[in-house]
Amino acid sequence: MYIFLKLAWRNIFRNKRRTIIAGTAIGIGLASLIFSDALMIGMEENIIESATSTFLGEGQIHRKGFRQTYEVEKTINNLDDIIIDLGGEEIMADFSLRTLSPAMISSPANVSSVEFVGIEPSREKNLSKIDEAITEGSYFSGDGERDIVIGRKLAEILEVEIGDRIVVTVSQAETGDLSQEMFRVSGIYFFNSREMDRGMAFARLNKTQQMLGIEGGIHEIALRFTDISMSRNKLLPFWDRYSKNGNEAVGWNVILPQMESVFALSRFSVYIMGLILFGIVALVIINTLFMSLKERMFEFGVLRAVGTRPFGMAKLIVFEAGALAVISIVLGIILGLAVTYIFTLTGIDYRGIEYLGVTFQDLLYPEMRISQFFIYPISLFFLTCLVGVYPALIAARMSPVKAMRQGLL
Amino acid sequence: MIDKSYDIIKAEALEKTYEDNGVPVKALRGVDLEIKKGEFLSIVGPSGSGKTTLLNIISGLDDPSKGEVYLNNKLISSMSGRELSDFRRDNIGFIFQSHNLIPVLSVEENIEYIMLLQRVPKEERHKRVENILRDVGLEGFADRFPTQLSGGQQQRVAIARAMVSRPALILADEPTASLDSKTGSELLDIMRSLNEKRDMTFIFSTHDKLVMDKARRLIVLKDGQIESDEVKK
Repeated sequence: MYIFLKLAWRNIFRNKRRTIIAGTAIGIGLASLIFSDALMIGMEENIIESATSTFLGEGQIHRKGFRQTYEVEKTINNLDDIIIDLGGEEIMADFSLRTLSPAMISSPANVSSVEFVGIEPSREKNLSKIDEAITEGSYFSGDGERDIVIGRKLAEILEVEIGDRIVVTVSQAETGDLSQEMFRVSGIYFFNSREMDRGMAFARLNKTQQMLGIEGGIHEIALRFTDISMSRNKLLPFWDRYSKNGNEAVGWNVILPQMESVFALSRFSVYIMGLILFGIVALVIINTLFMSLKERMFEFGVLRAVGTRPFGMAKLIVFEAGALAVISIVLGIILGLAVTYIFTLTGIDYRGIEYLGVTFQDLLYPEMRISQFFIYPISLFFLTCLVGVYPALIAARMSPVKAMRQGLL
Repeated sequence: MIDKSYDIIKAEALEKTYEDNGVPVKALRGVDLEIKKGEFLSIVGPSGSGKTTLLNIISGLDDPSKGEVYLNNKLISSMSGRELSDFRRDNIGFIFQSHNLIPVLSVEENIEYIMLLQRVPKEERHKRVENILRDVGLEGFADRFPTQLSGGQQQRVAIARAMVSRPALILADEPTASLDSKTGSELLDIMRSLNEKRDMTFIFSTHDKLVMDKARRLIVLKDGQIESDEVKK
């Protein structure tokens, strides 16, 4: 066994240039797979971060059925107890109380339908990024209870600027009576997200509660965990603890199930890319091994003549494939590590680009995982050895005389 | 001394037909041959006379189209590929005209290759390599690689490799063809002394007069048939 390993290892260095070219080609394939995987994970995390930190939150608590109907009277039950309990949760970094209702918003120039959101500005700052997205005016800087913050697109539609007055009309809980209030535009934000920039308007919580006739009532508690990965864990006991008394607590992946599906699709596309790359790698390996086989026909004849069994010849070729794989893997890991590491430092600028309904807010940083440097290289190693079986069988079945005769041609 | 009662090779009515560009070519036409243990013989004849073909067939490297070969009383055609490999490994040493050695292995590794296949213990391997290198005059060359040796030195290593596992039979196909006459003569002397010392059977395929002169038995092949078979006094 050892002699075949030694022979295989030395054989692949006989034509250094070919080995380096083949090894580099395979290594680049491996490196791009590692980088793609890291990029996909980074993109996934970036999208989750963008989606949850912009406004959604990592999880939410509602009255059961509210998410489906948006009925104004469906406020959260046992709110005071929940607030106390949430304050004691170690895994909870922060939470924010909101009212949500459909509304008509009108200016002298135009009218538009929006989602009218009541927030506690100081608390909301820790949950969402509305304050950071302000481009004109300010984020509820004073005490004005008629301050309203709207998106840039909505401001354009309404043809309003900071200080202009707009009227918000909502339907009150229980009675359905219309409630109308005048607000003054105090801040304009820009997320580069259609949904956020034209479809939402934010006012102080006590004002919206009063308009909706739900004094002290809350429709949504947006949650932020100490570790964002918890929000994705459907088995976290937290969800059960707060899904009682007619309420429901869910993570962002339940609120946006389509996002999980798209992530699964993205991961699948990485596997497909991996298969294509591995296919190309297989062709490179077969080509390299056959070229090497062709050049050493006489030598193979001699090895068979002096008593190397057919299986020994096959082992030699498979080991050569394995040795090529080892070199390629080392190159691929070094290259993959270097490229991925550089981008984890510099990031990739996808900011402003909307994907899956979410606009990238931050630089995209590929995420390296230990598994990337094990799973793909090990798969590549076994694939290479497997691919080596075909030329190995040819070598094993080779007649010594024919091999020597061909070697002399 | 040659044990005349023991045929190491017995070939009966050997025929071999090749296809050359679709045209059948008869390389051997009914060759009968008996070779005793310890012989030092040359098969001679012009190019295309069938020397190499005969050598390949009696060593089990190639199959005859017709006829049978017994090697150490074993019928070669009855052996599987693996049995034949093991049989060659344990009973036959090969010396080819050139390109004998594995370039990526050192002299010592080339020589011990067959012993590694035979699973000879390391110490025994080392001892045998040391002895055979002394016999072929290559002491101190163990760590060199084939490219660091002259043609003559490479052939000495090939001889050492062929003999180190102590096979009953050594087959040498034009072993001196790529060597100058002085080196060739030296190598033949080495082989002849090993033949005498270790009672190994040597069969040469050659048209080198030097080899013919040193051989004790001369078989002349012509057009795939034995034209003469002469034992020298």
